[in-house]
Amino acid sequence: MRLRSLILWDIRFQARYGFYFLYAVLTAIYVAVLSAVPEGGREKATAILIFSDPASMGLFFMGAIVLLEKSQRTPAALALSPVRAEEYIAAKVVSLSAISLAVAAVLAAAAGVGAGEHGIVKLHIVLPGTVMSSAVFTLLGIIIATRIGSLNQFVLWTVPVELVCFVPAILHLFRAAPAWLRYCPAAVCIDMVSGHAPSPTGVMTVMALTAVLFAAAKHCVLNMWAQMGGAKL
Amino acid sequence: MRAIRSGFLQMLVFMRRDMMLSAACLAPVLAGLGIRFGIPFLEAVLTERFSRSAVLSPYYALIDIFFSMLSPAMFCFISAMVSLEEADEKTAAYLFVTPLGRKGYLAARFCLPAAAAFLVTAALLPVFGLSTRSLADILSLSAGGTLQGVIVALLIVAFSSNKLEGMAVAKLSSLLIFGAAVPFFLRQDAQYIMSPLPSFWIGKAVFEDTLVFMLPAFASSAVWIRFLLRRYLRKI
Repeated sequence: MRLRSLILWDIRFQARYGFYFLYAVLTAIYVAVLSAVPEGGREKATAILIFSDPASMGLFFMGAIVLLEKSQRTPAALALSPVRAEEYIAAKVVSLSAISLAVAAVLAAAAGVGAGEHGIVKLHIVLPGTVMSSAVFTLLGIIIATRIGSLNQFVLWTVPVELVCFVPAILHLFRAAPAWLRYCPAAVCIDMVSGHAPSPTGVMTVMALTAVLFAAAKHCVLNMWAQMGGAKL
Repeated sequence: MRAIRSGFLQMLVFMRRDMMLSAACLAPVLAGLGIRFGIPFLEAVLTERFSRSAVLSPYYALIDIFFSMLSPAMFCFISAMVSLEEADEKTAAYLFVTPLGRKGYLAARFCLPAAAAFLVTAALLPVFGLSTRSLADILSLSAGGTLQGVIVALLIVAFSSNKLEGMAVAKLSSLLIFGAAVPFFLRQDAQYIMSPLPSFWIGKAVFEDTLVFMLPAFASSAVWIRFLLRRYLRKI
């Protein structure tokens, strides 16, 4: 019940600050761009677009979200409420993943990602891939955002994270990476986003990474709450 | 003048505290090294893999345009974020009633960073650029890139009232630079749909190798900057 309320409030917050409008505009632009890409390269272009924008929006926006909450003293109120850190994190992951999911579905359908002879778009692979990528990026965003004091600092700290996540993924997508890199979580995610079924080992790797990041994010959120108004004795 | 200098130095102190100053100095050089050595290497790999004579090299001039927009985009984005934080914390309004004034504030937050970005771009483009260019080309590309950076910064501060909206506008406005790619990929008259974008004319000037096209780039930049500046000043 508490989690549902938190998710709804996060969705309202994101709607108020124009996330839905922004992604509606971006989706229209991306669909137009993808329709101009030659058919041979459209699937890869769509995978890169989904992976680097809607899926990673949690990493891009989390600094501003957390800083705005800090300036509105929301963490101080949350620290004293019955809300648990896990619920706070889960609400952010779910609400941002919902936008990622909607945008990815439109882009994948428009570009025909993974459509074989029968022309059926493999949304059952693309969408779970988008959710998994979105969860990882949002958790990374929370870990960084809870530790910084300004937006410029956040942008700076996300650069190495983006390099570590995007470079192996894109190299893997173009088959320019060593074979062992296919188990790298970023490579598994972009494989799924491009409509290719992952190996069970790959999925396990992403799950394990998500669990580790979730634990780290919980630790960071509790620290932030303690500093912003909770008890730190 | 002293107040503007102090205002600019104050911003540099903020930037140094966030390590943004070192990042802003290092990033264009690192990106330049990546472009100068990484792109030709990638071209060699791709041409061999796909057995084609050229894959990326027809777009070296476009990569140069994006490089000319990189330093201004970084410098102006940082300034925009500082201004946004000042607007958020209401310190900008207080700065306006100091000897710095409105014009001084704009000079310290936007003109001086843009001038620094122009100098950095003009110095780095001949070193890291992938295509050979004349001095006039380098200066006009640097000026075009700088104006593009100023437009993005003004879009952020004019259309957002907090950091979160600022990031959303930054994401949307960063797409404006892709107008430069249009003349390279769209050869028909339909390309002129993008003509209100200064970046389109920069792309056209480089693609057609005709500097005259920089004139509409500067003129459309002036229109954008005038409109955005008026909106920003009305807002604060």
